Amino acid sequence: MQSSSHAAGGAALPVPRLAGHFASLEVQNHAARLGMWLFLATEILLFAGLFICYGVYRFLFPEAWAAASRSLDLTLGTINTVVLITSSLTAALAVHYAKEGKNKMVAVQLGLTLVMAVGFLVIKYFEYHHKFEIGTLPGRFYSYEGIQLPGVPLYFTVYFCATALHGIHVVIGMIVLAFSMVRALKKADFGPNNFTMVELGSMYWHLVDLVWIFLFPMLYLV
Amino acid sequence: MGIANESRQEEQNMREEHHGAGRYWLIWGLLLVLTVVTVVTGRIHIPTWGLVLALVIASTKGTLVLLYFMHLADHRGANRLVFAVSIIFVVLLLAIPMVDLGTRFRGATPPGSTYSDLQAIDIGADAEEGRYGGAIRKEGKMGEESGAPKQ
Amino acid sequence: MTPSSSIAAPGATPAPEEHHDHHPNYLVDGTTIKSWLLTVDHKRIGLMFLFWVLLFFLVGGIFALLIRVELLTPGPTIMDAMTYNRTFTLHGLVMIFLFMIPAIPAVFGNFMLPLMLGAKDVAFPRLNLLSLYIYLAGAVLALWGMLNGGLDTGWTFYTPYSAHTTTTVAPVLFGAFIIGFSSIVTGINFIVTCHTMRAPGITWFKMPLFVWAIYATSCIQVLATPVIGLLLVLVTVENLFGFGMFDPARGGDPVLFQHLFWFYSHPAVYIMVLPSFGVMSEVVATYSRKNIFGYRAVAYSSLGIAFVGFFAWGHHMFVSGQSTFAGGLFGVLTMIVGVFTAIKVFNWVGTVYKGAVEFKTPFAYFCGFLFFTVFGGMTGIALGTVSLDVAWHDTYFVVAHFHFIMVGATIMAFLAALHYWFPKMFGRTYHEGWGLVAAALIILGFNATFIPQFLLGNNGMPRRYYEYPERFQSLNVASTAGATLLAFGFIIIAMYLTYALIYGKASGKNPWRSKGYEWLSESPPPTHNFVGPQPEFPEEPHFYVDPKKAEVPDAV
Repeated sequence: MQSSSHAAGGAALPVPRLAGHFASLEVQNHAARLGMWLFLATEILLFAGLFICYGVYRFLFPEAWAAASRSLDLTLGTINTVVLITSSLTAALAVHYAKEGKNKMVAVQLGLTLVMAVGFLVIKYFEYHHKFEIGTLPGRFYSYEGIQLPGVPLYFTVYFCATALHGIHVVIGMIVLAFSMVRALKKADFGPNNFTMVELGSMYWHLVDLVWIFLFPMLYLV
Repeated sequence: MGIANESRQEEQNMREEHHGAGRYWLIWGLLLVLTVVTVVTGRIHIPTWGLVLALVIASTKGTLVLLYFMHLADHRGANRLVFAVSIIFVVLLLAIPMVDLGTRFRGATPPGSTYSDLQAIDIGADAEEGRYGGAIRKEGKMGEESGAPKQ
Repeated sequence: MTPSSSIAAPGATPAPEEHHDHHPNYLVDGTTIKSWLLTVDHKRIGLMFLFWVLLFFLVGGIFALLIRVELLTPGPTIMDAMTYNRTFTLHGLVMIFLFMIPAIPAVFGNFMLPLMLGAKDVAFPRLNLLSLYIYLAGAVLALWGMLNGGLDTGWTFYTPYSAHTTTTVAPVLFGAFIIGFSSIVTGINFIVTCHTMRAPGITWFKMPLFVWAIYATSCIQVLATPVIGLLLVLVTVENLFGFGMFDPARGGDPVLFQHLFWFYSHPAVYIMVLPSFGVMSEVVATYSRKNIFGYRAVAYSSLGIAFVGFFAWGHHMFVSGQSTFAGGLFGVLTMIVGVFTAIKVFNWVGTVYKGAVEFKTPFAYFCGFLFFTVFGGMTGIALGTVSLDVAWHDTYFVVAHFHFIMVGATIMAFLAALHYWFPKMFGRTYHEGWGLVAAALIILGFNATFIPQFLLGNNGMPRRYYEYPERFQSLNVASTAGATLLAFGFIIIAMYLTYALIYGKASGKNPWRSKGYEWLSESPPPTHNFVGPQPEFPEEPHFYVDPKKAEVPDAV
């Protein structure tokens, strides 16, 4: 999936360099995209492990799950959902403009995406901070007097593992998109034949969004 | 062309049509509406089907993102297959442990859970207790009043 | 840019191949250390993997011998109990994560896959190189952890023990997590290569069977490895911070850990054994001088094993506290794996039947392989029966079973591949006589090591125990003697192959007269595999005789 992104064709050449072992540019792009889909499949299965932990423990401790999820701040969670969905829109628009060769717009849209990603992390920081203050923490660190049911610390174990893993993916996604943005600004060579880099980065970002779309109701709304 | 190859069919499956940007805004609008729906229905706390409803809405949203933001609607062949297979395996991975838990000998489920015959153990805040096994408990802490021992 | 780099000309189409008279083979095309360490040539990466995989095999083998020596006498022999625990953990970890999982896909898959598909390289050459370094980084971290304090959980890391033990769980598990990335990257690379890099003429059902096997393996790697990656991180976190995800004292369910663990680790058995099946399909056709019997059945059964392998994980958990219903379900599903394996065995035997067999070293390994697969597989069916497993669980019977099916099959295939493709990789031949002697030693040694263990397990000796009653001693001594024989076999192989590497006779392009696609290029191949225009592949793979004449005695 890096073959085209590393090609460094230079502003003079609007097409990316074709690596010598591919039959044609279409095949190369196809390979990159298929590789990305496979990679996303691994990401889905990575998160699946946590979803299974969630499902099993919710099955075992339904009351604790309901009580604990109500201690979360639904407003912040909803805002975060909206922020992430909107950032997904701008990422999709960045691909759209990359296909049309409007490099300025690509950079603008990616910039907006990054701003919203930072916003997401800041809101997440406030949520975490609140939890550290009242003591709704995983496992043996749990010290909240408000909810005393077996299984509640486990909820927060799942909560922290899932959101932290998602947070790491947000950061990785930001790095990937930042590379595309810098390229759109510096080289400005995205165009109808050369948008794979933006497309793959944006696919990754949509996956981050996708995971959150599932995490949000599971964590905040049960 | 340097190398022809046998992936011509798949290559055609990958062709992407270029749409206007309006489509993305439309999907975005739908996603926001569904978010509102899920928050509103989530706050009602429907007893049994609440989680199912939330997951159905989430799946709908996820499908929209996949099909249109990630262009799976335009892709055919291998890409769809990869995604479908990964979802099948997520479902498999979820289903079998649930089947196991649902049919398990109650003594083998974690203590304190709805399906357990065991005493709820101290879930305590103290770092030491309970760390090396479930038997250590302090008197007069939360285990008793909350743990729903079913005996 | 190094001469072996495959990133070529600018522009939308690759530059036309220039015809020089002399095309150096990949071994001598660039001789600096940098040209090896930073190469993106799949063949060189395969060779580097071979070096490391063999090194880790040596490490794991030394620990295996230490275990066997320790078990010579009922009491303490050469080490204390804690060292013993660390030794068998190290043996299991190194052999599984560092040797068997990368052994055939990363070495021979890397080397042969593009050659068999008529491609110049794998789809993502740089990722390919990256996977080597990820593998090494993970290996260094894991080994560092194992030497600095060790790990005494066994390679399965069962919670809650692994979350509470004071040995160095965290670095080892994190190392294994990193190695998982290498496995995923290799898998993605091979799948994409199979989809996009096939040369003209190679349709899906004209791919060599080794490619089919590697494809199925890659699917497992991509689907299963992330789950164990997450799980290893969770256990690491649990060990470091005590989050209680799998701790029954906090409401956690250790059986859930086992579900997630075996969701990867059972298919991992097929990651090890499917490439072996692929190698054997190549070897058996070549040395029988006959088309593979039932090509499609073998190809489909590779995918079938990959798929069904995901439904059988619970048979490791029959006595774990899993529900009896789930146990019965898994017992039945386990049998289905046997069906697909039986299809393969049937087809291999059908290929040999009335073939003009050349009994060369790889074919000797094929015979050993057939024995280990059938015998190990049948004991597996027995173990998959819930009622029998309750008695056999965690005894040496299980140890002997999985060494037969998983290690036996993989070692046989690895050695067969090493001998079969040795001329392809290095352009030299080894001494056939010594090859057969070593094969005999290894097959005999393997049986002598593990058949006593079947008996031990059946008599009730539990696995992973440091001491045992007097009455088990004779069988344990027999097993250790067998292990020594095995070690001698490997030493002989190491000696004659090293000799052949330096002084071996030039093999020519295709010493086995094989019809495999990989033999169409030079041996050893030039840097970009094929010189001149893109080769085409009009023939079926493994095409030796017209199928209609295949059963006629003098047709070959």
